[in-house]
Amino acid sequence: MSVEIRTVGRAPDPLEPGPLILGTPDDRQLNDELLGHVYRPGRAWILLFLLAAGGTSLLLLGVTVTLVVGIGAWGNNVPVAWAFGIINFVWWIGIGHAGTLISAILLLFQQKWRTSINRFAEAMTLFAVMQAGLFPLIHVGRPWFAYWLFPYPATLGVWPNFKSPLIWDVFAVSTYFTVSLLFWYLGLIPDLAALRDTSKGLLRRRVYGVFALGWRGSARAWRHYRIAYLLLAGLATPLVLSVHTIVSFDFAVAQLPGWHTTIFPPYFVAGAVFSGFAMVLTLVIPARKLLGLERVITMRHLETMTKVLLVTGLMVAYGYMMEHFIAWYSGNPYEQFVFLNRATGPYAPVYWLMIFCNVVLPQIFWFKQARTTVAVIWVASVLINVGMWCERFIIIVTSLHRDFLPSSWAIYKPTWVDWSILLGTMGFFSFLFLLFVRYLPAVAITEVKELRHELAAHGPSAGHDAVGVPLAEEESNA
Amino acid sequence: MGLPIYGQAARPPGDDRGQRPLWRSLEELAAGRDEGRSPEFAPGADSPPDALSRRSFLQLLGATLAFAGLEACAPPREKIYPFVRQPAGLVPGQAVHYATAASLSGYGVGLLVRSNEGRPTKVEGNPDHPASLGGVGPFQQALLLDLYDPSRARGFQKRGRQLSYRGTLLELSQLAKGHEADGGARLRFLLEPSSSPLQAELRRRILERFPKARFTAWDPLSDDAARDGGRIAFGAPLEARPQLARADVILALDDDFLGFGPEQLRLMREYAARRVQGQELNRLYVAEPGLSVTGMNADHHLRMRSAEVVGFARAVAARLASKHGLASLAPLAEGARATPAASAVADDLARARGRSAVLCGPRQPAAVHALAHALNGALGNAGSTVRYLKPVLNDLSTGPAGLAALAAEVKAGKVDTLVVTAANPVYSAPADLDLEALLEHVPNALYLTLHDDETAEACSWVLAASHPYEQWGDTRGPDGTVSLVQPLIAPLFESMGEVDLLSAFLDQADLGARRQLQELWRQRRGGAGFDHDFERWLAAGLVPGTASPAEAPAPRTAAVAQALRDLPPAGAGGLEVGFVPDYKACDGRFAANAWLQELPHPVSKMTWDNAAYLSPATAEKLQLVNGDLVEIQLAGRAVTAPVWIQPGHADDALTLPLGYGRRAGGPVAKGAGFDAGRLRRSDAPWFAAGAALRKLGKRHPFAVTQTHDSMEGRPLALDFGAAEWQRGKGELEEHRGDPASIMPAMHAYEQEQYRWGMAVDLSRCTGCSACVVACQSENNIPVVGKDQVERRREMHWLRIDRYYQGAAADPQVALQPVACQHCETAPCEYVCPVNATVHSDEGLNEMVYNRCVGTRYCSNNCPYKVRRFNFLDYRGEMAPTEKMLMNPEVTVRTRGVMEKCTYCVQRIERARIEARVAGHPIREQDLKSACQQACPAEAIVFGNLNDPQARVTRLHHDERRYDLLHELGTKPRTAYLARLRNPNPDLA
Repeated sequence: MSVEIRTVGRAPDPLEPGPLILGTPDDRQLNDELLGHVYRPGRAWILLFLLAAGGTSLLLLGVTVTLVVGIGAWGNNVPVAWAFGIINFVWWIGIGHAGTLISAILLLFQQKWRTSINRFAEAMTLFAVMQAGLFPLIHVGRPWFAYWLFPYPATLGVWPNFKSPLIWDVFAVSTYFTVSLLFWYLGLIPDLAALRDTSKGLLRRRVYGVFALGWRGSARAWRHYRIAYLLLAGLATPLVLSVHTIVSFDFAVAQLPGWHTTIFPPYFVAGAVFSGFAMVLTLVIPARKLLGLERVITMRHLETMTKVLLVTGLMVAYGYMMEHFIAWYSGNPYEQFVFLNRATGPYAPVYWLMIFCNVVLPQIFWFKQARTTVAVIWVASVLINVGMWCERFIIIVTSLHRDFLPSSWAIYKPTWVDWSILLGTMGFFSFLFLLFVRYLPAVAITEVKELRHELAAHGPSAGHDAVGVPLAEEESNA
Repeated sequence: MGLPIYGQAARPPGDDRGQRPLWRSLEELAAGRDEGRSPEFAPGADSPPDALSRRSFLQLLGATLAFAGLEACAPPREKIYPFVRQPAGLVPGQAVHYATAASLSGYGVGLLVRSNEGRPTKVEGNPDHPASLGGVGPFQQALLLDLYDPSRARGFQKRGRQLSYRGTLLELSQLAKGHEADGGARLRFLLEPSSSPLQAELRRRILERFPKARFTAWDPLSDDAARDGGRIAFGAPLEARPQLARADVILALDDDFLGFGPEQLRLMREYAARRVQGQELNRLYVAEPGLSVTGMNADHHLRMRSAEVVGFARAVAARLASKHGLASLAPLAEGARATPAASAVADDLARARGRSAVLCGPRQPAAVHALAHALNGALGNAGSTVRYLKPVLNDLSTGPAGLAALAAEVKAGKVDTLVVTAANPVYSAPADLDLEALLEHVPNALYLTLHDDETAEACSWVLAASHPYEQWGDTRGPDGTVSLVQPLIAPLFESMGEVDLLSAFLDQADLGARRQLQELWRQRRGGAGFDHDFERWLAAGLVPGTASPAEAPAPRTAAVAQALRDLPPAGAGGLEVGFVPDYKACDGRFAANAWLQELPHPVSKMTWDNAAYLSPATAEKLQLVNGDLVEIQLAGRAVTAPVWIQPGHADDALTLPLGYGRRAGGPVAKGAGFDAGRLRRSDAPWFAAGAALRKLGKRHPFAVTQTHDSMEGRPLALDFGAAEWQRGKGELEEHRGDPASIMPAMHAYEQEQYRWGMAVDLSRCTGCSACVVACQSENNIPVVGKDQVERRREMHWLRIDRYYQGAAADPQVALQPVACQHCETAPCEYVCPVNATVHSDEGLNEMVYNRCVGTRYCSNNCPYKVRRFNFLDYRGEMAPTEKMLMNPEVTVRTRGVMEKCTYCVQRIERARIEARVAGHPIREQDLKSACQQACPAEAIVFGNLNDPQARVTRLHHDERRYDLLHELGTKPRTAYLARLRNPNPDLA
């Protein structure tokens, strides 16, 4: 696509968004393309899978060492009693936010562009929450008693302490995981049926058949399906706000300077959506290439997501600003010190990396050039994830390492086990994700087909959601 | 060499193969074989020690005839039965306290040791003993760990051959007999300094049998200079014993009397009692090169090189002579250079005539001690704030002079048998004596030791010593008071006491130390009721009426002046190297003690290490930072040491703590720190000028428990100058009282019978760290090792925060013991997801170990960071003897569990049970927390805040009371009392 070529054809309206589906594929074509990666895995998949399996073994190693030796295998100390474990937990939970946001909230707001990426994002959510869920288990000193955090009817008659935000976490995260799983699975049912019907092997047909729950695609089934999907979306919507709000309570409810802040809930939610979208982009850009999904995940999708990044990035920046402002305005010397220490103390490089990645970098998305250059988007999305990890590091470690009494101030240094677990969760996440794209359709086929029909029925200029420019036309331009 | 090496006997005699070198490893081949050092198969190793071979049967038969009269050569038979009928007053599960005493450098401190089912588990001070007054130092408490140390020396070895107790006594008896012929001319004893009357008696009897034998006492921390100073000043080796209760102005000349020494506990009590408002505050000047515990507490820390102290003291004398009419001091002041500090100190001393005290430390030469005597005499302090007592040690000289004379004899080959009971002289002797090589030339070097240390490697006989808490004996306190030492437990390993060893040279070891002790005191204090008296003394821990009377000598100014003139001039140029006893390893004898190794150094907060301490200015000049490795060269010797920049240290001087860099002595001792003693010479045991320093470009990691020294302007350890106190005390109002809150009170604690609370008086606290060891011992707190401390995972429930204020060159030091504050609205409690930390009705913040899953949220939310987490399995597998150390009333925590100060809840519950049985409420005297009990300064007070008469309640209402981080609204139950300083306005 060059300017020169564009001048040949109709001059595109700069305010008119790009197409959601390239070309005018029919249902069979869509079926074929979107299920293709399930039937014909490429060599790249195998390579990536091996890499991810290696990462997963790293996780197993790290977790085994932690369980055998104890938390002492990590770099944690007193005062920094929480570090990588909780950073990673919050980071992964945050990443898990985009899925529900895309599937539930955007569904309710009838954003058409969600259809091609929602399956993807929901899977990402599930896998990210699985990574996150690992940490509360392995980070306790006596993991074999971690179930004491659940309010089970113990013969001792001892209940968990419902005043503790960690208990709220248990409920919030488990609810979120359950609802996300149901939502994802419900969306999958028609596609599982399609897989059942088109798979070659008997075993595959049987397995897909079991999970398709006898879906026949009758109008009655579709009607029930639609209602259930909408209801779940309604249920999931408050969760998008609640989960990270409650995660932020882990900090906001404590009295530690740098944690004890009322802005944390909205600021954490914004940060979560920010990092979630960044992760979707990080994954979707290579995936659309490798899985041949360029027809349904277009530049329009990528551009829209960069806009979300820009907006949530600004919210996050506002959060940072308010934190610093309130620290100054409060007149609390401990609070003021924490924020000064973040910018000038021993962890200042991490702080400035965070500011660069989360505040400065997203500003490039004011420019269309940046929003539409795939390489730029991808690099930026990766850096934003780095930045969001740094944010959690800054919140947790810098607040703890220098708190009230200077006598207990100390430096925290992660060990190789800390790093292996962080990298390992990335490996395990990729591992699950690769399995997902190998055995399940990465794009909600029924929804895309539906969208195509809608677009075809209402013509190119129907609704605010506009138009699929016919593929032929685009190609002729080129 | 008795028996042939295993396998060699099969070789025909004359076989020349025996000439070829035999070797077991390439290293040994290269080094040349040395069978004597570490025989793989020690002579006789192929037969069990007491196996009855034909030959040994005949030997025994002969011996039986020869020693028929010594039939009783065995440890005295002591029977052990389970109780058939339980003795009155003994209840299983109930601890019993026994009085005993421990000595260091020969001076005893009275102790009460708690025994649980026959196992000593906690050492406390004996309130009746004049050197303890109820307080106890870190060393006496940590000795308990040595008792149970599984790496303790055990058994008896003669040239690598194991001997039984009986066999050892037989051999010793034979050895002694061999020396009878020449009257013991070739028999020498190198003893640990002692004040024991029993030892003196044994020595007298040994000299009767061997008139030409000689006893030498060796103490690397000898206080000879004090006695020599007495000789100069008074013509008699009198020792000055300060009475600080009456002293308004104290000048310490390089004297760390609050941190070290036989009278540390008493002096700390007397000093601290004068640091609280309501009476005239004393004022402390400390002139010293480093920053000691005493220096940290000084109102004016006058930093100067050790050699400059005498000049300073003379300047004080000059000012007193010229300005204040003390003409007798004029001859002492010749050539003194007046300084503003010296003048101000002199003026202050003169204002407090008869109520001042000049103290001189053992590191200073005798002439300076004499000068201090003269100053005290002229100021009228003698008899008032300073008493003069006759020395209590059995040897007047315990320093390098005696050891050097002994070494010369050994070198000349005049010694056949050397009996060593001094603690590790090979390590601690001045390097120029080269004792290690000399000992190997002594045919029979007998070493009685608690640890397999450097000296054990050099000696041909190694005899395991019984632990001080396993023996009978006696000792005298610095004031002469005799304490009887009674064992708390039968020796855990095969070992003998010093009394047994000395008695063996009289063929009386079979008597047993207890009988000998009893006989001695029957002779001395015999009478009809002796047996009853003896029991009474044992129970009380001291023999009444044994304190020495004070002497009233007159100082001889001319002699003092002459001694000062004779003082060699301070060597010019280079750095001055000073040696100090370490607060943890002492002279190396506690290097194997993990509690002390991990105890944060009271000043630098360093663990598991020593360092070359120097001033910030000197470090800058030499371009050094903390942890830089340097080579220190002094008079042809060199050691490699890491440097530590110590604020308040004198410039151009190094302070090297002794006692580290051990080459042997067990896994704990080895590898920690460097051996400063290798620079020590017998002619300059305490300081020497002319050292050079070379930076090696390598770094050494330190494990320090406090890495930030500034309070950052926060109101934490508060202090006030005495002058500002009346004006400024209103400031404290904002640090106490009920914080504003919209929360209703959760519990009416005032309605309870007990409301536990603590008060810590920062004016009294000297930072000596006795409380830290007490807490560790009482609460089964594990030691975690250097690596874990480096990662900041030390487990001490109680820490002493130390902050520097003001200029780095000469800072003021603020000290603050911090343990769990037992907040009424505790931030740790509401965040625990499993209810593992909860509040009791009496206000304790309780930690339920078996409910804790280890989320560590409580630690994050604790503003005082007093919670400690078991990151690893710090207890691990315990040796059987280590298990005996555990306090049975305190849970031993596992991996993954949070722990913290409990206000010694086990003691509260014990007191509650006893009070209930006795039918009265818990009274103040029934209950002391472990830290409170140990504190020699009475800085920590614990008790029931609902008792209006309790000391703790009064202190909570004291006008100096404030709460740490009061504005957080945690309502801590531990209150602090702001420190009062009393600086001299003339020196402002």
